[in-house]
Amino acid sequence: MGEERSTLHDRFDTGVNQDELILQQQRQIEKEISEKTPLVGDMENFSSLEKEYAGDAVYCQKVQDLSAKYKSMRRTRPDGNCFFRAFSYAYLEQLLNNPEEYERFYALASKSKDNLVALGFPQFTVEDFHDTFMEVVSRVGKGGGTFTQTDLHKLFNEQGYSDYIVVYLRLITSGRLQQEAEFYQHFIEGNRSVTDFCHQEVEPMYKESDHIHIIALSTALNVGVRVRYMDRGESSEVIAHDFPEGTRPSVHLLYRPGHYDILYP
Amino acid sequence: MAGSALRRLMAEYKQLTLNPPEGIIAGPINEENFFEWEALITGPEGTCFEGGVFPAKLIFPPDYPLSPPKMQFTCEMFHPNIYADGRVCISILHAPGDDPMGYESSAERWSPVQSVEKILLSVVSMLAEPNDESGANVDAAKMWREDRAEFNRIAERIVRKTLGIPTP
Repeated sequence: MGEERSTLHDRFDTGVNQDELILQQQRQIEKEISEKTPLVGDMENFSSLEKEYAGDAVYCQKVQDLSAKYKSMRRTRPDGNCFFRAFSYAYLEQLLNNPEEYERFYALASKSKDNLVALGFPQFTVEDFHDTFMEVVSRVGKGGGTFTQTDLHKLFNEQGYSDYIVVYLRLITSGRLQQEAEFYQHFIEGNRSVTDFCHQEVEPMYKESDHIHIIALSTALNVGVRVRYMDRGESSEVIAHDFPEGTRPSVHLLYRPGHYDILYP
Repeated sequence: MAGSALRRLMAEYKQLTLNPPEGIIAGPINEENFFEWEALITGPEGTCFEGGVFPAKLIFPPDYPLSPPKMQFTCEMFHPNIYADGRVCISILHAPGDDPMGYESSAERWSPVQSVEKILLSVVSMLAEPNDESGANVDAAKMWREDRAEFNRIAERIVRKTLGIPTP
């Protein structure tokens, strides 16, 4: 695909536009790096993480702590969509074996489109993403022998499905932020309105997620998320933050600066 | 991935055919290839481009609508936000962060909920109200600011040319 895209680009750029060329090249490099990791990887133990930080005392201690608290992890592609991808994979994986929670989520997800349209999102384009999202959710609901973990894994590594799920969760996040704009305005730096923030930092693909995205999505879906922070901080432990505060977390994520992976307790 | 792009483009084409926005026609050049479209845009009333019918080409990436298309006028154009080779330079054709022109942060950007229709409507607004701070065509931007009469004369000549009317 990369090649195809650059030919299109070359054909267009008969005029000189250095800035755009530089931008294009930067994108290409980022893309090549990120595509070395599958969209969602296989389950693995913490030995590869240990190797990654060999010789780094601060991180090694935290990997130790992590492996005392969790059984395994699953990496996601570092393409700016990792929070949404990790969250949806981990959550839908659990729904495979939790019919009660599945019923609740199915009802909520079905209604979510009307909610977005009521908030002023264009029906026509939202429908496109909602349809694909519901197609995946419905397949998860078949459960038993018809749709297995392996099927889910395969589906999340098909870019078409995987990215559409990410887009739809971005829309739900944006919808929640705008619905509760008065509350979320306090968390936005600078003079940006909540709507501008959503247009610039939430709805577009490849934009990284911050606390505000996690709070909005976990509240909108009523799904607890525990994020374990692994950074240069003093503590020898991987500190936990629960979103929304005080809920029982069902999805566990590992955060390293700029990136989220999935954790399994 | 191109499968979802194709499905979306077919749906947008249908939508644009059933409910065409005023003054705009758009669709694939050849129904064998939904990733290259042609659009005809009528110059907005009450502006120097009034009466013109401007043809343009839209090229969609394989991951549309995650990434935006590119748009290029195929007729002669003279406008602050259009490059000499016809490429259109407006914020909605760029995702936030992809910012060769340094658009204002509040300007409308590409996101997957945008559509061809939204782009074409933005282009009509751009024809009516050039943004003379984005210098895709610096000469046009300068003339728009400093010599509106001459700008209007050039626009009129281009309008006539798109209609095939000989210029005086």
